Amino acid sequence: MNLVDNLEDLRARFEDALKNSAGAGSLDAVRVAFLGRSGEVTAVRRSIGKLPPAERPAAGQRINEAVEKMERALDEAQANAEALEVGASLSQRIDATFPAVPPRQGSIHPMKRVMHDVCAYFERHGFAVVVGPEIEPDYYNFDALNIPPDHPAREGFDSFFLTPNLLLRPHTSPMQIRTMQQHRPPVAVVVPGTCYRRDAVDARHLYQFNQCEGLLIDEGVHMGHLKGMLTGMCREIFGAEQQVRFRPSYFPFTEPSAEVDTTCPLCRGAGGECRMCGGSGWIELGGAGMVHPNVLRNVDYDPDVYSGWAFGFGVERMALVRYDVDDIRRFFENDDAFLEQLA
Amino acid sequence: MRVPLAWLRDYVELPADPAAVAEMLALLGFPVAAIEKRPVITGVIAGRIAELGKHPNADRLQVGRIEVGDGAPLTIATAATNVAAGQTIAVATIGARLPKLTIERRKMRGLESEGMMISAEELALPDEWFEDGIMQFEESLQPGTDVVEYFRLSEAVLDVEITSNRVDAMSLIGLARELAAYQNVPLRAPELSNPGEGAGGAKANVTIESPDCRRFVSQIFTGVRSGSSPAWMRIRLALAGQRPINRLVDISNYVMLETAQPLHFYDAAKIPNHHLIVRDAREGERFVALDGSERELSPQALVIASETSAECLAGLMGARSSEVTDQTAELILESANFSGARIRRTAGQLGFRTEASSRHEKSLAPALTAVGAARAAQLLVQAGAMPHEPVAFGQPLSAAAPIDFKISDVKRLLGYDLPPQEITERLDGLGFKVEPADGMLRVVPPEWRTDVTCSADVIEEIARMAGYDLIASEIPAVRAHEIASGDYRRERKVATTLAALGYREIVTYSLHGVQVYDKIRRAGVEPPARPVEVQNPLSEEQRYMRHSLGPAMLTHLARANGPDRAFEIGRIFYTEDRQPLETPMVFFAFSAAPQNEPEWHDENFLRAKGDCEAFLRAMTGRSRFETAADERDGFHPGKTGVVLMDGREIAVVGEVDPRLVRTFGVRLPVYACRMILSALPPYDVPQFQPPSKFPSTYRDLALVCDADVPAQRLESALRTAAGAWCTAATAFDEYRGSQVPAGKKSIAIRVTLQKPDATMTDAEADAVIEQAVSTLRADFGVTLRA
Ligand SMILES: [Zn+2]
Repeated sequence: MNLVDNLEDLRARFEDALKNSAGAGSLDAVRVAFLGRSGEVTAVRRSIGKLPPAERPAAGQRINEAVEKMERALDEAQANAEALEVGASLSQRIDATFPAVPPRQGSIHPMKRVMHDVCAYFERHGFAVVVGPEIEPDYYNFDALNIPPDHPAREGFDSFFLTPNLLLRPHTSPMQIRTMQQHRPPVAVVVPGTCYRRDAVDARHLYQFNQCEGLLIDEGVHMGHLKGMLTGMCREIFGAEQQVRFRPSYFPFTEPSAEVDTTCPLCRGAGGECRMCGGSGWIELGGAGMVHPNVLRNVDYDPDVYSGWAFGFGVERMALVRYDVDDIRRFFENDDAFLEQLA
Repeated sequence: MRVPLAWLRDYVELPADPAAVAEMLALLGFPVAAIEKRPVITGVIAGRIAELGKHPNADRLQVGRIEVGDGAPLTIATAATNVAAGQTIAVATIGARLPKLTIERRKMRGLESEGMMISAEELALPDEWFEDGIMQFEESLQPGTDVVEYFRLSEAVLDVEITSNRVDAMSLIGLARELAAYQNVPLRAPELSNPGEGAGGAKANVTIESPDCRRFVSQIFTGVRSGSSPAWMRIRLALAGQRPINRLVDISNYVMLETAQPLHFYDAAKIPNHHLIVRDAREGERFVALDGSERELSPQALVIASETSAECLAGLMGARSSEVTDQTAELILESANFSGARIRRTAGQLGFRTEASSRHEKSLAPALTAVGAARAAQLLVQAGAMPHEPVAFGQPLSAAAPIDFKISDVKRLLGYDLPPQEITERLDGLGFKVEPADGMLRVVPPEWRTDVTCSADVIEEIARMAGYDLIASEIPAVRAHEIASGDYRRERKVATTLAALGYREIVTYSLHGVQVYDKIRRAGVEPPARPVEVQNPLSEEQRYMRHSLGPAMLTHLARANGPDRAFEIGRIFYTEDRQPLETPMVFFAFSAAPQNEPEWHDENFLRAKGDCEAFLRAMTGRSRFETAADERDGFHPGKTGVVLMDGREIAVVGEVDPRLVRTFGVRLPVYACRMILSALPPYDVPQFQPPSKFPSTYRDLALVCDADVPAQRLESALRTAAGAWCTAATAFDEYRGSQVPAGKKSIAIRVTLQKPDATMTDAEADAVIEQAVSTLRADFGVTLRA
């Protein structure tokens, strides 16, 4: 076959291939087959070498023209194919209301979220967060906290004992002592953690629960600072309008001591028939107060120089109020519906 | 403590609304748990039975003519049998409203009854504590008197919580004193002189052999008459939750409720020589309490004994043998003070408590002994008894030590200033004595307060009286300190990372029963040999501390209908050298349907490993981890790996032992990863390596090797053998079967090659690969699969 016939044959096969190609993707294959490095045109080009030298320029010219035509045809076909595809895409109509495909998503436990939020609030104000053991000797649980043996207040901390003097901590306050033993003032910490008390379980009580403890010791720290920080914390957890009220109370490790109430978020303090607060308009959060001078003395802090406060709140109880949960046991049941709703 | 408002109002002016009183008590530190409202009762008056006769038409009815003061006498029929002419009784007149009915004119067996004789129950009093039948009053109560108004039966009862430091306020007078001081109104306490003072007469001798009895006031009363107490006292006691017994016992209970000082009366005839001895009980000493209960005592218990036998368990309850009865003509009063700790220990050991012990165990002020005796003497005299000289035994009363109190401490601790004048007034209202002394106040607490011993205690008293609402909110400027939040931050990051990986956080109990071990044993797995055991669980469900987060996780996954994913961060407990110890752990797991795949492959395992590595990457900043196949308790022996970092084990990942999975009721295979929180290496900030600008190339190799050669070893051998240009060697397929010889497998590994400074040519790549393969051939006996 001569060159001309070769080119003719090539063109015919190229046009067939173009016609038979479907869509922009298969055009690439056609391009490679004919115009690629080892494509058909290359083979034809190689055959120029067999021609007498005088004929070679003309032959080269013809091949170039043919290649140019093929390229143009390919570009055109490409443009057409793409336009068709875009057109087809644009004409699609789906039902956007169909349920979404959910991502594989986990969640933080609602009680832990409250704990994290409380800690984050105090961290923003310069407090460190420390954690401690759940098994504590009675010294840290009681003696160092101004609750000597035979003190009537020990009964309020009805504890699970592992050995005669090791128990599951009934509160996070042992960490007050551990922290103050290790550091000199200023001390500013919050202590989240699990505690245990031999309480009968019902919709409002658990024998295992989590507490968040706070402790600030420095020169010039007073009870107004406690109210200020707790008000801020309540606003973070329950809402911007929260108020905090102190009522006198008794804890051996604080003096003066206070019960801390915050506005009932459900009735916003109105009370009435409110099921959350029983009509008082207030929710009890837990105990607080100025650290007792004896506790400061126990860790070699001078109570005439340093003062400070501590508080300890039940985290499940705060979560119960925040999420309007009917039964505190749900925080340990891990029911999927419960975790899903509060995820 | 149940506080009848009507009784409280005797001592202090109070707002009419019980809720307002409750609020005031709460702001003083005595929260009110409940306000028990009384039902509306009207039309009940006192009537005197002038005549009583048989009903003409009914054998079991009687008809009385009842005088009711100004009006005409009423004719009333009754079925009650405790009525007699001359009695003063409760009568509900026509139109009267009772808790359950309204009285109407009606005929009883043909005779018109003009009202109804009523019992304590119709007055909403606990009827089992009152006479069986019609409620009886004293003769002195004028007929026609409105009963509800006279006995103030419409007044609410408050259930007041009293903190353990304020045993002085476990009394009507104590609470009234607080309310009086808070409102700045006078306290109307009964005048407390003992009518026997200076009377001389008989004396009971008391020998105190134990230092746990600090003071003992004894007093003899003669001419005692018992019988039932007047209605007003019975009603008060009943509303306060104390069962009326007889005149004498009622007086001792009444005085305790009023003053906080428990008393005990002995029938003097049963006490030889009128001699009482306070001593430790003897080992095995028998004691029959006046409630009939019988106990064997140990020297732990403190008793008050006659010369022959124990007559009272100190602070708890008297003995039946010397109990006062209707026959008692002469009694010995005991108003004593005991060590609170001793009484609490005894009560705990004997497993019973009384109203008296609940006060004694909080350590009453010794000075109250005289108060209790004086008040009882007054009431006994009113009841016709003759008082003799009270005698105090034991330690002399010592005045409270004065507290030097810096006025500036008010500002320092409460954040606000109060003028010394106001401080003094506030404290004065509570019975403190205050003297100014050079920038200080010298404060002496009243004799009934043992809880105020330091300056901070005084400040609390001032704050309570001034009102805690005076404390103003202020945000402190927290000074920089050196305390770190490391452990907690790690825990929080673990949680957020696992949540991002699709796991749901759960929180479970750390205590469980023996059933968990039974299940583990049933699965054919050995439970922990020395679990941490709780000595005093409330129930057997709380006997043991968890040794693993696994059982609770399996229990959780068993509840899901299909595949589920969860994690828990919590402590596990174990025994080492007889010491209970704890370690914080993280455990995450998923249940997933088994795939249809050959026995030597498990896609779910690889997913678990993938989650583990992604988790570790987020926690440590590293991106390459080594895993070694291994066996671990609770995991599948052939589908478990330990993840190593710098040669240290940091995680176990694998399929959970299918025997355990089945025993715990999970219907799908479970894959899990567990880590010791503290073993997680700290975050290492990754450093950027600029990628080569030149294209990379790769070769896919199908290597045939012994089936037990781990893929990870081939990968790393290839990486080493291929030299510095090798950027990755990653296995992506595995095959065993007829295409390779028995005992062999084929592993497909993609080796990626890239030069930092030039494009890698095919020839260079082929040379590197050839070199690497020949190294592997020599080291592992691999061949290239055709
Ligand atoms: Zn409310």
